[in-house]
Amino acid sequence: MGHRPAVSIAPMVILAVLAGMFALAAESAIAQADKGAPVAKNWTPPKTPWGDPDLQGTWTSDDCIGTPLNRPANLGETLYYSKQELAQRESQLAKQQQNDLQEFVAPDQRVGTGPPSHWAERARRPCKQTSLVVDPLNGRTPDLLPEAQTRRIPEGANNDNPKADSWEDFSYYIRCISRGVTGSIFPVIYGNGQQILQAPGYVTILQEMVHEARVIPVDGRPHASPRIRSYMGDPRGHWDGDTLVVETTNFLGNRTGIGLNGGGTPTSDALKLIERYTRTGSSEIEYEVTIDDPKTFTRPFKVAFPLTQEPGYQNFEYACHEGNYAMSNSLSGARAQEKAAAEAAKKK
Amino acid sequence: MLEFMKRKVMPYRLRVWVVVSTALIVLFTAMPSNGQTSPTTTSQIPRMPDGKPNLTGLWQTLGTAYWDIRDHSAQPGPLFQLGATGAMPAGQGIVEGGEIPYTPAAAAKQKENLQNRMALDPEIRCYMPGIPRANYMPFPFQIIQSQRDVAFAYEYASSNRVVNVGKFREAAVDTWMGTSNGHWEGDTLVVDVSGLNGNSWFDRSGNFQTDNTHVVERFTLGDADHINYEASIEDETIYTRPWKISTVFYRRKEKNAQLNEFKCVEFTEELIYGHLKKK
Repeated sequence: MGHRPAVSIAPMVILAVLAGMFALAAESAIAQADKGAPVAKNWTPPKTPWGDPDLQGTWTSDDCIGTPLNRPANLGETLYYSKQELAQRESQLAKQQQNDLQEFVAPDQRVGTGPPSHWAERARRPCKQTSLVVDPLNGRTPDLLPEAQTRRIPEGANNDNPKADSWEDFSYYIRCISRGVTGSIFPVIYGNGQQILQAPGYVTILQEMVHEARVIPVDGRPHASPRIRSYMGDPRGHWDGDTLVVETTNFLGNRTGIGLNGGGTPTSDALKLIERYTRTGSSEIEYEVTIDDPKTFTRPFKVAFPLTQEPGYQNFEYACHEGNYAMSNSLSGARAQEKAAAEAAKKK
Repeated sequence: MLEFMKRKVMPYRLRVWVVVSTALIVLFTAMPSNGQTSPTTTSQIPRMPDGKPNLTGLWQTLGTAYWDIRDHSAQPGPLFQLGATGAMPAGQGIVEGGEIPYTPAAAAKQKENLQNRMALDPEIRCYMPGIPRANYMPFPFQIIQSQRDVAFAYEYASSNRVVNVGKFREAAVDTWMGTSNGHWEGDTLVVDVSGLNGNSWFDRSGNFQTDNTHVVERFTLGDADHINYEASIEDETIYTRPWKISTVFYRRKEKNAQLNEFKCVEFTEELIYGHLKKK
């Protein structure tokens, strides 16, 4: 645009277009939930030098921390908060940030054994959704099949129920083994980092917590033999336009579940996940996963939330097992309690 | 062309000419230029669009350096119950010059480590292997090279690291896998590893490092399927001088080769927590 008149008109045109976009935004949000992620109009998805869509960077699901997997029943089929509710949640976040800055506890306050509030990671902006489950419309995990209802859930032992008889009473997360694929990306109190690195033929997702590295071939090769099973499964990717689609199968059955940190009823060896990663702006990916386990759930369902790139956010090494003193301490504590109880019984 | 020759459609004289000229081309291509003896034909290595070598792939060492990085004879392993399967094969070491220049105190510590390896070797407990040990364990590892950073995903213990290529980043905190900063020197990826927490060993023989250990690695593609690997190791608290290891990574070429999962934590729980289980 070399001519002066055109330059001076351009900003007005852009403003008009932007105004129109904002007016449409509210109405289109709901429609887009079904159609897939909305891609910013004035933004071109970047490509790697070898021509693949470029999703690289360190992403976090922090913004939906605290958003429940299953929608509270009273919210019915309302997936998105209203403008008013969002404003309210925004001010709550601001208050929380203020509290997190507090370095010392006020002298008249009781001090608990829990960690200080700044210990957890926080959403930077309010999550628009009322639940992480977006399909079915009620935002709730489908019913379990009868065969899945009897599966033991390693809850994470406490003093009484379940008792810490063995490490096997603890979840695979507490044991520092794995949180499974969905448990490694669903937002929790900290460690939500996902570093994506690409090479010709590969996408890799390095996840901070329990240090997972998902190496995803995007070269069209078939899945590994069904005899080879694992916690994180066997991923295969392909590009659907600018969207990375990852199909993961070959899971070990009866390990982690679809809950936060891989909790909940363990899924089966028939679990198939189809994930979609769509970059919708320079610092946002719309993440979506379809969970299909015909031996566990009555129907497939879908979870979705945004991943964002935040200034200064980086993954750190999460040496979970190497520093898992909680396991030794929980087990030895339980044994000490048993010993004390046995001695008390003798005295009676 | 060979098919054509076999079918005897090509006249004899032409066949001789083809064979001789092909031989000459092969000979001249193989001959080192400028009198150098390097067997490297750098034109045949895979490259990124910007011309840098592309290290992406599934790699693994051969040999038995994971038992002992020094030259060693065959000997019994730590558990007689495993018989021949648990024994240590003989092997050429990867330490240049053969010896690790320990100070006398450090040499004594290595012997102590070796005697107590069942209790002390971090590999037995499924702890992250550290650098350089991760690179020559008896497991493959995947390199994923982007247009900038380079990720390493090791099969053993799902350990991994990202080499930051670009502005040098200080280690924020000491870690098992250290902080890796990389840069290219010609066709060689040079990786500076600092911030190691000192809990890692070099092998199953108690050769060790400290939280002062500084490792500089060099990755050079010899041809499409081999990476020549070198690491120099410095730590004036336990070594009397810097020393070097060098080995070769081979590309795993089986049609179905891929990085598998070896989450070994659950194979160590009985060992680590067994005494705390309810009787």
